[in-house]
Amino acid sequence: MGSESTLPGVRRIAGIVLAVLLIGGVVAAVVAGREGKDTGTATKTVRGVIGSEKADFFADPAVVKALAAKGYTVKTETSGSWAMEDLKLDGYDFAFPSSQAPADALADKYHARQPLPRPFYSPLVVVAHRSSAQVLAANGLATLDHDRGTLHMAAYLDAARHDRTWQQLKGARSHAELTGTLYIATTDPETSNSGALYLAAASYVAGGGRVAAGKVDVDRTAPLMHKLISVQGAQQPSSDAAFRDFVSGVGNPLVLVYESQVAALLHDGRGVDDLTVLYPDTTANSDHTVVPLTQAGRDLGELLSTDPALRKLAVRHGFRPQGDSAEFTAATAPFASYINQKLTGIRQVPVPTSAVLHEMARRARN
Amino acid sequence: MRRRLALIAGLALLLTACTTQHQQSEEDGSQPRPGTLRVLASSELSDMAPVLDQVRKSTGITVRPTYIGTLDAVDLLAKGKADGAYDALWLSSNDYLRLRPDAAKKVVSETPVMFSPVAIGVRAQTVRSLNWKPDQVTWSQIEKAVQDGRLTYGMTDPARSNSGFSTLISVASGLSGAQSALTDADVEKATPKLKEFFKGQKLTSGSSGWLASAYAHRGNVDALLNYESVLRGMPGLTVIRPRDGVVTADYPLSSLASSDPDTRDEVRRLAEALRTPAVQRLITERTHRRPVVASVAPGPGLDTSRRRELPFPGTRSVADRLLDSYENKLRRPSRTVYVLDTSGSMEGKRLERLKTALLDLTGDFRDREEVTLMPFGSEVKSVRTHIVEPTDPQRGLDAIRADTRALEAGGNTAIYTSLEKAYEHLGDDRDTFTSIVLMTDGENTSGAKAGEFDGFHRGLSGHQRDIPVFPILFGDSDKTELEHIAELTGGRLFDAQKGSLDGAFEEIRGYQ
Repeated sequence: MGSESTLPGVRRIAGIVLAVLLIGGVVAAVVAGREGKDTGTATKTVRGVIGSEKADFFADPAVVKALAAKGYTVKTETSGSWAMEDLKLDGYDFAFPSSQAPADALADKYHARQPLPRPFYSPLVVVAHRSSAQVLAANGLATLDHDRGTLHMAAYLDAARHDRTWQQLKGARSHAELTGTLYIATTDPETSNSGALYLAAASYVAGGGRVAAGKVDVDRTAPLMHKLISVQGAQQPSSDAAFRDFVSGVGNPLVLVYESQVAALLHDGRGVDDLTVLYPDTTANSDHTVVPLTQAGRDLGELLSTDPALRKLAVRHGFRPQGDSAEFTAATAPFASYINQKLTGIRQVPVPTSAVLHEMARRARN
Repeated sequence: MRRRLALIAGLALLLTACTTQHQQSEEDGSQPRPGTLRVLASSELSDMAPVLDQVRKSTGITVRPTYIGTLDAVDLLAKGKADGAYDALWLSSNDYLRLRPDAAKKVVSETPVMFSPVAIGVRAQTVRSLNWKPDQVTWSQIEKAVQDGRLTYGMTDPARSNSGFSTLISVASGLSGAQSALTDADVEKATPKLKEFFKGQKLTSGSSGWLASAYAHRGNVDALLNYESVLRGMPGLTVIRPRDGVVTADYPLSSLASSDPDTRDEVRRLAEALRTPAVQRLITERTHRRPVVASVAPGPGLDTSRRRELPFPGTRSVADRLLDSYENKLRRPSRTVYVLDTSGSMEGKRLERLKTALLDLTGDFRDREEVTLMPFGSEVKSVRTHIVEPTDPQRGLDAIRADTRALEAGGNTAIYTSLEKAYEHLGDDRDTFTSIVLMTDGENTSGAKAGEFDGFHRGLSGHQRDIPVFPILFGDSDKTELEHIAELTGGRLFDAQKGSLDGAFEEIRGYQ
């Protein structure tokens, strides 16, 4: 890894370059650019590595301001929640993965004291366009209610088990983009939280309503889990990328994302063309959990959980703050037709231990 | 995987060869400097210059791109050679990178910046004669048109160019009828179809830029396969996204684990700046790519009807095997004449360099490829042709090596007479990619004159006239003279005075 030691070898690489183009080149401009940004009374810089779905939250000028008011400048970079384990976190104050399992694993590794601050959570949802949602409903795979619906996981897994294609479903013919194997596109379960939670929920259903507890359970559902993942081919590394694909009209008809991503979009007053939000009837919650690596990191985690202004901003970004559903319900009222505010009819299932989940993801991918 | 290995070996050699010649630009290119991000980038991103200029004004961040093909970039990363030399990676897609865990672990944050799907750009006249409704066209229709001899096309070399690689995946997925991510079995099943399809490929190129100019020069190719953004930038093409699916590039700006946190923060700032609505608007208007933010509408002319996204292979073996099979089985083989100056002035070091470069190149020849060595002095000294037979590739390669070692210097420099000989040798062949590589270290001193060669070229049959000459500037050769040859024949000049001879030969591979 030592960059010093490889530098001489690497400098030669410049020679292979067919064109080294310098675009612009005013170094001094950096200083000007930076000065423009760091205004306010920030006193303490706190560094963290976060799940990509929280990048917009931390980049929001209102959040930057609210944090500065409390004396913090927060610098973040994104990573898959499970990939954080492989990062060198020296010099970081906190990690902020998207659920409890990777957080606990990190807390173990860095000896972070429990309990860990869990400022907010967000359920996983499947975003779809109206046409594909209606085809699912017509074939008993989903039930629709206005702009949202419920995805029937058992029926979906059954379709997956039988390699069902869109062409075999009633009503798909009139939509050109609905061809190929029916599947939900997810992130890579080995590196990213949402992909891993998808396996957690699917294996729970496939295992007859039981949380996988060890090798025998993993073995039993492995062929189906492998199918769910392998049909997808290369997967997006992060839920941010997966959601942007969908929003831009690129990619698969069914994409697993966080409810927060959808709610944030709707908060901005932007719909996606005939968006339909499907809540899987069996799902695992994503508890965004702060793993403090320093005292400053812990303080920040507490602040995110307790500061009214920051909680409000978290809601604005589509998250559900812990311990109070009223804030979220009130804020999402204008677009309640898309959001299952009280998560009615949705079963939350526990997530397997991190070791079991890792093994499940590994088997599914390979 | 003989090809891929050769490619890596070629790269390594290239690195060594360039050390001395490029001292200056190395100093410029690889030193870390505050406010400047050294970005390993896909070559198509050169069209982002005005956008990056804008971003520099608003953020103070200067992007210094180093252009490279996806496969080479992934190799570089996997070997740790990008550590400390680059601050960010910006490829058209990280899909292939993710198939290589040793490379993937070098990347920390990935931020998709814009989209462009693979598409086919077809001459308006051809669209009409095929009776195509652009929004209804499928991959099988395209294949049928090719099979009926009604559609020819050009595409970039998948081993060297991102756009070519994505195109290959799109075509293979589209024609295999695979319902989900491609498997080895799908590729196997689709091989006869793919073989038919690639018979229609009349133009190959190492870069999207030359593909476009060669297309314009030739005037007799009906279509190009490339990213929608590249095709949109060319006049007269009807851009079609096949109805049954495409592969889409999402241009993720990626920070690297080997950088320090401050550098990664600069990369994050750059990514954020690129995703602001104003910059996204600029991107879609200037580069014909699609925005990644919901508040910005795709630029004019970008059709928003939905397409299925064809899954990219989930394993490295499928991707690599597809590539290998394209190079060695599916594509039309190439026939190349190497017109090599072995005049008296080549005596000594120059001849040695030529021999070394050619010997290295032999590792890169594909199955079924025909290679002719045509050394010349005052006249053509010998014409030696070898074929790399799939059943025994080593035999052909050994013969090329033996002939290379036997090259001797002597005589004057009869460039044009020798070129005429090369054209005669290639004849009127329509089933292969034919091209001529001209390596000379001096000016034309005997035989036919430039004007006579121009006349000779005018008199060639249509197909022969399409054979490009790729001259290599070397030693004391005359740039104007060689540029004229490249322009006349629709070739491209390669510079081994500034770069290395190995590098030039290696780069030309993408065009053969």
